[in-house]
Amino acid sequence: MSTSHSASVDNLVAPNPVRRGVLAGLLGAYAASLIPWALAQPVADSDQGAFLAVSAILVGRSALDAAATKRLYDALLANDASFSASTRTLLNLINERKIDPLQLQQLLDDEKSPLAAIPRVIVSAWLLGIVGSGERARCLAFETALNAVMVADVLKPPTYAYGTYGSWAGKPG
Amino acid sequence: MRRILLSVPRIATVSAALLLLLVAVGANAAADMPDAALVQRGEYLAKAGDCVACHTAPKGQTFAGGLLLPTPLGPIVATNITPSKTHGIGNYSLAQFSDALRRGVRADGAHLYPAMPYTSYSKVTDDDTAALYAYFMQVVKPVDTSPPPTALPFPFNVRASMIVWNALFLDTKPFQSDPKQSAEWNRGAYLVNGLAHCSTCHTPRNLLMAEDGARALGGGDVGVWHAPNITSDANSGVGGWSVTELVGYLRDGHAAGKSQAAGPMAEAIDASLRHLDESDLRAMATYLHSVPPLRDAADTRPVFSWGAAGDDLASIRGVALPKDLNEMTGPQLFDAHCATCHQAQGQGSFDGGLPSLFNNTALGRVNTNNLVMVMLEGLHRHPDILMPGFAKDLSDRQIATLGSYLTQRYGNPNAQVTAGQVAMLRSGGASSNLVLLARAAMVAAVLLIVVVIGLWARRRRRVQA
Amino acid sequence: MADTLSADFVVIGSGIIGSLTARKLALAGASVLILEAGPRVTRGELVARFRNSPRRSDWMSPYPPAAWAPHPVYQPKDNGYLVQAGPYPYPAEYIRQVGGTTWHWAAHAWRNVPNDFKIRSLYGVGVDWPITYEDLEPFYQEAEEIMGVSGAPNTGSPRTKPFPMQPVTEPYAMRRIRERLEPAYPVVSNTTARNSRSYDGRPACCGNNSCQPICPIDAQYHGGLSADAAVAAGARLIPDANVYQLEHDAQGRVTAALYYDPDKASHRVTGKTFIVAANGIESPRLLLLSTSDKFPQGLANSRDMVGRHLMDHPSTSLTFDAEEALWLGRGPQSPSSINTMRDGAFRSEHAPYRLDFTNISRVDGTSKSLVAAGVYGPELEKRLRHSVAHELNVKNVLEVLPLPEHRIALSDQKDAMGIPKPQAHYSIDDYTRRGHERSQADFKRIAELMGGTNLRFSKDGDFANNQHICGTLSMGKDPATSVCDGWGRAHDHENLFLASTGVLPTSATCNSTLNGLAVALRTAQHILSAQTSTPTPAATSAPGR
Repeated sequence: MSTSHSASVDNLVAPNPVRRGVLAGLLGAYAASLIPWALAQPVADSDQGAFLAVSAILVGRSALDAAATKRLYDALLANDASFSASTRTLLNLINERKIDPLQLQQLLDDEKSPLAAIPRVIVSAWLLGIVGSGERARCLAFETALNAVMVADVLKPPTYAYGTYGSWAGKPG
Repeated sequence: MRRILLSVPRIATVSAALLLLLVAVGANAAADMPDAALVQRGEYLAKAGDCVACHTAPKGQTFAGGLLLPTPLGPIVATNITPSKTHGIGNYSLAQFSDALRRGVRADGAHLYPAMPYTSYSKVTDDDTAALYAYFMQVVKPVDTSPPPTALPFPFNVRASMIVWNALFLDTKPFQSDPKQSAEWNRGAYLVNGLAHCSTCHTPRNLLMAEDGARALGGGDVGVWHAPNITSDANSGVGGWSVTELVGYLRDGHAAGKSQAAGPMAEAIDASLRHLDESDLRAMATYLHSVPPLRDAADTRPVFSWGAAGDDLASIRGVALPKDLNEMTGPQLFDAHCATCHQAQGQGSFDGGLPSLFNNTALGRVNTNNLVMVMLEGLHRHPDILMPGFAKDLSDRQIATLGSYLTQRYGNPNAQVTAGQVAMLRSGGASSNLVLLARAAMVAAVLLIVVVIGLWARRRRRVQA
Repeated sequence: MADTLSADFVVIGSGIIGSLTARKLALAGASVLILEAGPRVTRGELVARFRNSPRRSDWMSPYPPAAWAPHPVYQPKDNGYLVQAGPYPYPAEYIRQVGGTTWHWAAHAWRNVPNDFKIRSLYGVGVDWPITYEDLEPFYQEAEEIMGVSGAPNTGSPRTKPFPMQPVTEPYAMRRIRERLEPAYPVVSNTTARNSRSYDGRPACCGNNSCQPICPIDAQYHGGLSADAAVAAGARLIPDANVYQLEHDAQGRVTAALYYDPDKASHRVTGKTFIVAANGIESPRLLLLSTSDKFPQGLANSRDMVGRHLMDHPSTSLTFDAEEALWLGRGPQSPSSINTMRDGAFRSEHAPYRLDFTNISRVDGTSKSLVAAGVYGPELEKRLRHSVAHELNVKNVLEVLPLPEHRIALSDQKDAMGIPKPQAHYSIDDYTRRGHERSQADFKRIAELMGGTNLRFSKDGDFANNQHICGTLSMGKDPATSVCDGWGRAHDHENLFLASTGVLPTSATCNSTLNGLAVALRTAQHILSAQTSTPTPAATSAPGR
């Protein structure tokens, strides 16, 4: 992130240092167009900022909880020391080549990119709440994982009571 | 035209006869009511008075007695009030029935213990007493068995002592309507203070086990359960409840965003309150809204207004349970046992049938005895288990950890639960010193008398000498 | 060896069948000792483990095996405990802990239909049972009343008394399936050990949709409750007691059970009568392990029948997207079935089957599919919600015939306790495959009636397993082809009884638990009657509550 670039962006957004955060500087025009809300998201540092940006692009959400962001980021980094570098590279790639999220995985696989595993790792963490694989897999979120949140208007996560007896007879939604 | 000559004496005689007739008709108005209607009214009033709550033992025959009421003095056994001629009240006249109901005196002249709430039933009108009598004599099935008699430890087995107690604490004045208040208010006052005998549980008692009138409906303890403040206070009582909410609670046992009935109140709703007419419940609610407010200093806001949705899932997801389950944290215990029904943010189910934990008096009161009791025993509305109990699943320490977490997270953070409290409640409540105190007091009194007599005798001898 | 415990009855295995058999004997006043290989686990722990699991669709993940009582696990890695000898894999799952495998089941509690007891006579396949439906009927009722079974009428299994409870409320999705499939297919509410009202001190179902792997509120009956009930009735239960051998005397009467504790110290337990109730794999394993000079092939095995005729219920399925938004995942996991193919003349040609509609939430499976397919961006939520709302799955539950070459044997590999592992020899024969093929027409028609698109049939040749282990201790009249008689008594040993789904000589088309339990309760009744020298009554009174 060059000083001059961030300086020019600084002039466009509110000068409040807390609110401005670091994302504004990280996101090029294309990435910003995918997640415009993120410009105002406060992040601790540019590594977490890149992670938040890539996460937001991949899961297509209009908000991502800050505490969850940090927690998942720390866990992913603990599993893979190169994670933050890979994430930044991926963000730059998406931005520079203006990659549609739906085409991203195919493109990475076709090109046998070293980054090919990263999107799945990030999306598994957010969507399923799972970090790591095989015997090292850990669940970091269940009720707050995005796949539960995305259907929370209609379903409760398994093991949670739907309601009192018979409450499942009515039409949902 | 013929004039009927009525002399003054004649007019007086006729008037007197007419008057007597009117009085007789008035007095026997109840007796003259067609029997079926009278008996039906009696049945309704028996429900309002919740006679079955004490006089029907679990799995026992209706009104045949046998239930043991735990008191600090020892258990009091409820009697057979079926119209059995050999074992019940089958030989009672109306006057005798009335004396038992409203004066606490049995047909054989012995006094009843005020576990029978005759101090409330003393408000019941003559007409209503006659209706109850008709119901008990004509409809209730006689059962020819007797439960064992009550045997309290000395000196409380001396029933005659109730004469003194009654002199101090029994108000035999019948219910007086207040002309300044509406008919609905008066009906509510009559029911709340009379047959529904709310003060029996909800008014605290003094050392002599009598209701403390100065704190009417300010909250009392019924063994291990706490009957909360139901005065009109906005924070501690029901001042912040609408009449509709109160009526709904009395009828259905719950009010969303307020409270749900458990323990003895759930039983009272099952057996009594849910059977009352909507208008009677409204009347009671209206009256309760006028009961002088009493506030517990600890209630800095309405007891139903504490807490908010939230969770501590980040502290437990991906973390193994401790090997010793007694070391489980509040969030872990909540996850394993409570969140299933009350949901991960404590918000309750979509349909509200599994209630939210915040905005719930269950977690809003500083007295957490009811919270512990519900955690131990669950919540039942016959025949359904609405909430299972966790007495077998959780240790005293786990309940303390979990209970304190619940109040911190979803309720009044000043409320807490201790393991000692749980152990005490699990074992049936605090033991009472009342018997010991009474005996000690008697011994002291006797010694005092002996000393006084001794001093007097010595003085007499000196004088004589 | 350390201490010697003793009891009238020694029951090996504390699952639903072992525990309820023990309970019945204890209620009659006998001294009963239950030896359970695995540990005690509480329901709260199981709920917490599930929610913290990184593999929520792996229903064994809340049940890690104890080192001193291993059971098979396949994820994330196959622990190799159940050795697969083929030709077709038999990846059975079961739980060695107090209460056994029904801690996680869908609680299906169907009775067999009367013809299931005589498929040899009627259809020329399989074997006839040594008992009839009528023999078992009162014990079905007894088992249903203990468990709290809710069911709809017209299941094809005649009843003399009503179900303890009405069927559980039909979820919206199942109602729409039923309405759209009428009149081509009658969809019925399942007969399940699930409360449709408060029963036996346990609440009614609240639709937690996690029956497998754990019902968090005990609205569903399970072996943990049975174990508690056995202890409450006076049985003594010793957990962490891995029985590795049964001893006998010169007359062939079983005299003692030897077990290892977690430190591999050996303990000896003596008794008058022994009941092996350690599921359809561990029971034959124990018998095969109990070799001696007199019985070099192990106990109850003079004719080499122990472990043979292994059967389960294989399944194939169809997943598709229904026309309507139905939202599976509201209510219990397994609410509805089609029973029309459970019996009929076709059974001489191909396997019968039950058709089962799942109500398991699609969220986890769909999420994994979307991640695997690389669906990112705003499309992710759209497609997740669409699949979760529309996806349906119907599967068959196919009968398997008793073939002697399908068996549980001992492997030369040893487990962590130095005991030979169980080994599975299994395949899917043509009779069953033809049943699968016949069911495809039903799958297609059902999808059609639901306006289905995106049809995904299970992979050809792949048969999922249902963990209904039958046949390995078959009951029968002829000792040459069976292990025990119609009362569950081992042909070879007067005081050895077998109580397990393993004694069921055919698998039929319904889950094995109720059938195995009814047979075991009848066995217990027989044992008690023999003690008092009265004939076994045809009707038993329901247990008091």
